[in-house]
Amino acid sequence: MSRVQLEIFLGSILIAVTGFILLYVGFNEEKRMEEFVRYQAAQKIEVGAQLFEINCRGCHGLRGEGIPGLAPPLNDAHFFQARIAEVGWQGGLEDYIIATVSTGRQVSTRPDLYPGAGSPAMPTWSDEFGGPLRKDQIETLAAFILNWEATATGDVELVQIPSSEPSAEELADPVARGLLLYNQSGCAGCHAIEGISVGAVGPNLTTVGDTAATRIEGYSAEEYLRESIVNPLAYLVEGYDDLMLKNFADTVSDAELDDLVAFLLAQR
Amino acid sequence: MLKSLNFSELFKNAKTAIDNRVRIITAGLSIIELRALLRGDPPTEKPNPRYKVHVTSFMFHIRPKFYQQASTIFTHTWRLGFFTVFFLALEIVTGLILMIFYTPTPAEAYNSILSLTSNIPFGKLMRDLHRLGAEGMVIFSVLHMLRTFLTGSYKKERSFTWLTGVVLLLVTLGLSFTGYLLPWDQLAYWAVTIGTSMAEAAPLFGNEINLLLRGAPDIGAGGLLRFYLLHIVLLPGIVVWMLSIHYYKVAREHSISLPAKYDREDLPKEITKKAKQRLDLLPDLLTHEVFLTTVGLFITILLTAFFYEAPLENIANPQQTPLDTKAPWYFWWLQGMLKMGDKTLMGIILPTIIFGILFAVPYIDRNPHREAHKRPLAIAIGLLATLTLVVLSYMGLPEYGIETPAAARIIQDLAPEEGLGELRAIPYDQLQPGVYEVNVTDAENMCPDLLWGCPILESVFVEYSDRVNEAAEEGKLPDAEAVLVIEEWQADLTKVTPRIIWSDGESGDRKSYEQHIFLHRDHDRDH
Ligand code: HEC
Ligand code: HEC
Ligand code: HEM
Repeated sequence: MSRVQLEIFLGSILIAVTGFILLYVGFNEEKRMEEFVRYQAAQKIEVGAQLFEINCRGCHGLRGEGIPGLAPPLNDAHFFQARIAEVGWQGGLEDYIIATVSTGRQVSTRPDLYPGAGSPAMPTWSDEFGGPLRKDQIETLAAFILNWEATATGDVELVQIPSSEPSAEELADPVARGLLLYNQSGCAGCHAIEGISVGAVGPNLTTVGDTAATRIEGYSAEEYLRESIVNPLAYLVEGYDDLMLKNFADTVSDAELDDLVAFLLAQR
Repeated sequence: MLKSLNFSELFKNAKTAIDNRVRIITAGLSIIELRALLRGDPPTEKPNPRYKVHVTSFMFHIRPKFYQQASTIFTHTWRLGFFTVFFLALEIVTGLILMIFYTPTPAEAYNSILSLTSNIPFGKLMRDLHRLGAEGMVIFSVLHMLRTFLTGSYKKERSFTWLTGVVLLLVTLGLSFTGYLLPWDQLAYWAVTIGTSMAEAAPLFGNEINLLLRGAPDIGAGGLLRFYLLHIVLLPGIVVWMLSIHYYKVAREHSISLPAKYDREDLPKEITKKAKQRLDLLPDLLTHEVFLTTVGLFITILLTAFFYEAPLENIANPQQTPLDTKAPWYFWWLQGMLKMGDKTLMGIILPTIIFGILFAVPYIDRNPHREAHKRPLAIAIGLLATLTLVVLSYMGLPEYGIETPAAARIIQDLAPEEGLGELRAIPYDQLQPGVYEVNVTDAENMCPDLLWGCPILESVFVEYSDRVNEAAEEGKLPDAEAVLVIEEWQADLTKVTPRIIWSDGESGDRKSYEQHIFLHRDHDRDH
């Protein structure tokens, strides 16, 4: 066999084999594409979960259970079964979530239960309306919130383990305890600290450890911070309204207040 | 009537008519000649009809009539130039198909890649082929350059061929770089942000170049569109233009060089004669090329069907810089250089000098000899430069030279912000809820209640424990306590928290670092 003939022969075999590989791929495409649709939906939920922790837990709670006196639960049967009828929403629940989150909520529909940050009760989230999140991010948040349905309606029970976060007592460092409280007491929902939270209702606290001492004449940074939490009316930061919750004096213990202040002092 | 019908006449007329048609299509070859070609028989007519096509056909007039036998020896060219062209052709075909489904806007680009992989039959294969082909083209053009350097094929009349080659290399890198941004994911966005920010460091016009590339101070809609147009119009245009010159020089002017050893004067006559024997394009060279093409297609399709997957990370987020931003591997050398000096010197001035030298190689190296042992200095410099490239690339890795705090490094390695990582590769069913404490939890039998146990979770936990203990011993994490918390978060959604608590060296305060990783059941995907 000459080289030309050999190459024609081997080449033909390779074309046939390559053809078979393509056929094999072709037969599996349907299944593979379905798998990718599921995979991409899964990824959306994962990303949404992350965004929820950064942006929403401060008001709606770590697991969407809501914070009484601040913002409503998003993980209960009422939200999934009765809420859109209650507010008279025309579309589906996903649309309701996307629309509500995108535009925020100027006035709470349940001001006695969940006044939120006052006015607006929930800030705008979509960057179309001046908020911090993109459309695709809000869609992932909706996918994540909708995924609570199975547990909300009791179809699925989750395994509960004793502790997810270290309890404040476990942490020896007051600053670390303060961070925990900052996230758990709703501060994160209204305030931004670089790398920790992105709330936009109140002033950015990234460097509050420095600025605190300059706010009120005669007040040390520590005294000022303590005062700001217990009695927000004492000093209104320029450009902000009186929106901070007034009941921290009751809900936060003295020890917790120390930790919060230590944490804020460390932000500089 | 019937009588006048002459069958043999009719057949003859039909035959001539068919033969004429065939000759028109094949630019002069008859059916009989075609048959002889495929069988490797000698030409059937005189003058040799196989040379006629070079005059009568556009596609053939740019091809060589023949190469000398010795210049086609496999170990002389390694067919590297050929395969670079192969990958270029593959890129053009797959690229045209991808263009149908791609939208170059920040809002749609990422989605169009998602729907390409989940909604379009063979879409993922096309994307994988395009990505693999791009990497192949970079590898093969670099190797091709190395080969022409080592065989001394750039000398004398081939100087200009070399020069156009360096332009081709630059444009190939440009094509890869611009293509890298198009999926609009985190990897792409940040690699390109860093890449273009280097332009900013250029003296005099840095800021203007940067603006011209990005279309705005930050990469956004304008930048994406510009990169897209560069990628599909300008750069391919330059490639076709330069390749036309490059290839014409090789095919029609200087032919492929003979291996250097045939330059020797004292070779026996019959050896030189054999080396210079003609191998005609038809049928020898062409069959060989078609054969190589089938080999190339077989290997690339095999790889993309079963082994290779083009990466796609989370959608680009200008607000969030990932901890490790990594350039594509063929730019690691540049990243490595950047770690050694400032942007202007290492990112602009030095690369310009390097490519300047590369352009000028045939004009600097005036040594007329091509045999390796007669140009030891050139060979030594070439090998040294290759070695430097490898070392610089290693230094460009994010692991090298950038000091990340120990706890962050450990957790980032386990579960990188972008990309898979070992933790995300744990099968969902093995993510048994619980609090697992390093040096406390028994890593041998973490899930006695699971039917098959959780071997992969265990191995990740062991890895995690080892890294923490290692860092603790080195004094980077004094009194470390580390846990891995796995919680069911929603139906089919699990939250995994690696958390490390340690004492700060100076103040003695307890510090803590943690990451929250969410994993959905459908995240598992058999590749
Ligand atoms: C400043 C506190 C605050 C933050 C932060 C916040 N919300 Fe809200 N949210 C509220 C309040 C208050 C309401 C209104 C409740 C009402 O109208 O009864 C609300 C309502 C909602 C609703 C409609 C609930 C219902 O039952 O009608 C959704 C969905 C929602 N928020 C999602 C989010 C998401 C997602 C985020 C994070 C991107 C977020 N929220 C962040 C305070 C907040
Ligand atoms: C409902 C939204 C909201 C919540 C929840 C909230 N804040 Fe505020 N906070 C504000 C607003 C609005 C201001 C600015 C007006 C003012 O000074 O009272 C502010 C001001 C402050 C200031 C003064 C900042 C400066 O620059 O001087 C501090 C400190 C502060 N908040 C701490 C906290 C802490 C700690 C928590 C959690 C215990 C918290 N806030 C919860 C809205 C909120
Ligand atoms: C897109 C990139 C390139 C393509 C498609 C390409 C293509 C080719 C082809 C098909 C040949 C014929 C010989 C062979 O197959 O080896 C060739 C020869 C050659 N190329 Fe390239 N090339 C590219 C880049 C380069 C680069 C980067 C250089 C060097 C800087 C270079 C220098 C040369 C030289 C000197 C020859 C002549 C070799 C000889 O005569 O032995 N080329 N090129």
